[in-house]
Amino acid sequence: MNMNSDETKLAMWLEDELQGEALAVFEASLSDQPERFAEREDVRRWRQQVVSTLPRSEEPPYPDFFNSRISRTIREQSLEAVPVVKRGFSWKSLLMPIAACAGMVLAFQIGVQTHDTPQEVVVEGAPKAIPVEPILYTPERGVNAEWFASADASATVIVLSGVAAIPDSMDFTETASTDFESEADFTAEVESATGDELGL
Amino acid sequence: MNRSSDEASKAVRGPVGSIAPDALTEDPDDDFRLVALAQQGDFNSYDELVTRHRGRIFAMIRNMIHQEAEAWDLSQEVFIKAWKALPKFEAKARFSTWLYRIAHNTVYDWVRKRKIVSAGELNDEIFERERIDSSSRTTPSDSGAPDVSMVRSELRIKIETALGKLSPEHREVVVLKDAHGLSYKEIAETMECSLGTVMSRLYYARQKLQVMLKDEYELR
Repeated sequence: MNMNSDETKLAMWLEDELQGEALAVFEASLSDQPERFAEREDVRRWRQQVVSTLPRSEEPPYPDFFNSRISRTIREQSLEAVPVVKRGFSWKSLLMPIAACAGMVLAFQIGVQTHDTPQEVVVEGAPKAIPVEPILYTPERGVNAEWFASADASATVIVLSGVAAIPDSMDFTETASTDFESEADFTAEVESATGDELGL
Repeated sequence: MNRSSDEASKAVRGPVGSIAPDALTEDPDDDFRLVALAQQGDFNSYDELVTRHRGRIFAMIRNMIHQEAEAWDLSQEVFIKAWKALPKFEAKARFSTWLYRIAHNTVYDWVRKRKIVSAGELNDEIFERERIDSSSRTTPSDSGAPDVSMVRSELRIKIETALGKLSPEHREVVVLKDAHGLSYKEIAETMECSLGTVMSRLYYARQKLQVMLKDEYELR
């Protein structure tokens, strides 16, 4: 709906929005168009009908509470909106990251220096370390134990001789000291508790 | 007073802003004086403005969404938003027109959120008459003879039903123009559209309403 100046004026005249000289001039131009005046009467009637049925103003229920709730909300929000005061410039704030960086560099240097294997230093007059032979104890008679240092394995190996062969029928669970039943229950309790915590 | 306490007091004190002195002399509603006081942080003046305009804002929103409880909440939201935006009010328009504009945005925000929550298609269901709160009052606020009141009440329901079938834009323009008596210019400011758009919407909205309310028209 394109609106030119005359149409705009007509629309405004129909709605009683023209006033003063503009109204007089426009009404004079419509003097030979009675249908326009009838049209305006229709619009007026319609408006009257709407105004009489749809109130222009309608107090909200509990009007005092309405106001007080607005007041409370605004006051609460005003208090929340108090700006956090920013600290001013401080040399401390500038020095802290520099000090942190310097600390990191120093720690790195120390790490690099200590990483190299230190040369053996012979201290005159200091007692020499004496290699100690390990003592092996075997509680069962007829069982002999020997040891040797394995350079390849970087380990000390103990060789037992005279130990009776372990039969296949031996049940190792009987030798275990853990009570499996109670262990299972304990596990179940833990799982149950975890499940509860997760709200499962 | 140090800087932090000064800032804090300003925040609690509320809006600042100023209306040009000459605007106070051209104030048809005598609102600008109260607005100027409210802008200086006088909350009692703002409370008086709320009392003055709450009826119009509530009626406008209720006519738009047909849900009394929601309209009550949204009307409050309008006045809270208005308080926050008060420093920007420059008295270039009437205070009531400015409030209508905030109400317009508040209602459309609410509708948008409702549509997102319901994840539905964009439709006008929210505005439909069928969704009218059953506890809503349907009696016009003006009193009169019981039979007249009843006829008006019935007519109101019919008009509201017909309005509910219009698009939100068409409904709003009818509510603002015919029920609230705003001028084309004020409606254009409220709805943030051109004068021609308002005229066009009103023209088509009334045509649709006349068809829907044909029986009522012919009886009168």
